[in-house]
Amino acid sequence: MHVAVGMTSTRDLENLLRQSIEGNTDAFEQLYNATSAKLFGIVLRILRNRAESEDALQDIYVRIWQKAGDFEPGRASIITWMATIARNRAIDIVRRQRPEADIEDADIETLISPDSAFDQMAVADEMRQLDHCLNDLEDDRQQIVKMAYLEGWSRAELAERFAQPVGTIKTWLHRSLRQLKECLGT
Amino acid sequence: MTDRDDIDMLAAEYVLGTLEPAQRQSVETRRSQEPELDRAISDWEARLSTLNAHYDEVAPSRDLFAGIRARIEGAAQATRQAASQHVPGVVEFAKLKRRLAVWRAGALGAAAIAASLIVVVLSGDLNSPVQNGQFVAVFHRDDTQPAFVMSVDLETREVTIRPVEATVPEGKTYQLWIVTEETGPKPKSLGLLENIANPTTKQLGGFDPAMLRNATFGISLEPEGGSPTGQPTGPAIHGRLISVAQ
Repeated sequence: MHVAVGMTSTRDLENLLRQSIEGNTDAFEQLYNATSAKLFGIVLRILRNRAESEDALQDIYVRIWQKAGDFEPGRASIITWMATIARNRAIDIVRRQRPEADIEDADIETLISPDSAFDQMAVADEMRQLDHCLNDLEDDRQQIVKMAYLEGWSRAELAERFAQPVGTIKTWLHRSLRQLKECLGT
Repeated sequence: MTDRDDIDMLAAEYVLGTLEPAQRQSVETRRSQEPELDRAISDWEARLSTLNAHYDEVAPSRDLFAGIRARIEGAAQATRQAASQHVPGVVEFAKLKRRLAVWRAGALGAAAIAASLIVVVLSGDLNSPVQNGQFVAVFHRDDTQPAFVMSVDLETREVTIRPVEATVPEGKTYQLWIVTEETGPKPKSLGLLENIANPTTKQLGGFDPAMLRNATFGISLEPEGGSPTGQPTGPAIHGRLISVAQ
């Protein structure tokens, strides 16, 4: 799949990364300019705090710089690889920060609001397939998977939100994930 | 529930992000030693990453890159310097890393060696086949771990360790280990890397060259003065020398 990020093609991004490996910080800056809005969108949605997200974003790009040589083109697209590093970092931070549920009910509606965004963006085939598989899940299950992945909700937070014991949430998650895997067939 | 299913669910929840901090940490550590877990994580990343399209782009503050540049500039200089130095038996580290990525993707995949471990063996030039009994290995864990380039000369039976991005935590030292068929399953110490600012050379006169070719080398972080037990006690990075001649 050929993914365009802003005006820059996947191949351009890979070239920039390759130059970065050789110590070219200007190339890395271009890579940053082409991808930072995407990565910042991920981190901000999970951390929900701009200053903290900007700190995290800096750490993430330092990490991308350091790990540039590990990128394997055959394994994932470059933007997916970078997004994974960003999400992992954001999740690490959020798990350490709010091990307990501390989300106000008032925040929840604005945080979830999945439908508009989800409908708009379902363009690529893989995406449609995953959405199709997600749609096969019961509403609650579908929502917890999305909340966990996209917004970094923990088991405990989900338990509180859905008024279920943590063990039940775990069971739901596992069932949902198995069902997704089966549906995707990969 | 089978073990395989447990691993798959652990990987799935790791990628989903719902594990507790201690479990996340444990998965991070384990994946470098467990190819099956590492593969399961990659598979789940591939399955779920299409959800990334649901993240809207948000522009960060304008001047943010200056801070990043300040943090990577030192490392960039070192990389450029290393790339401009031609040390016999030691290839340019940056190119080596890139070549390695290709090599791992193509020839071996993640299964053959632990994912966080990068070991490659090459001769002095990237484009020439392995020759003259010279081998190079790269030790590189994640970004919190040090990276070393090790060259082995089978003729003189000398091993030289050259730190690339290594720092030593207070009160710690790096120790070099070897495992060969000759010496059995337990790692044997090759001594400390006491001054990591400079290359360290160790003589391996007691080892048979044929054994060295198939040896596993390791570097571990130990208390000052070396491992108190005679076996690696700290986090270790290790791997087998493999010829990747074209």
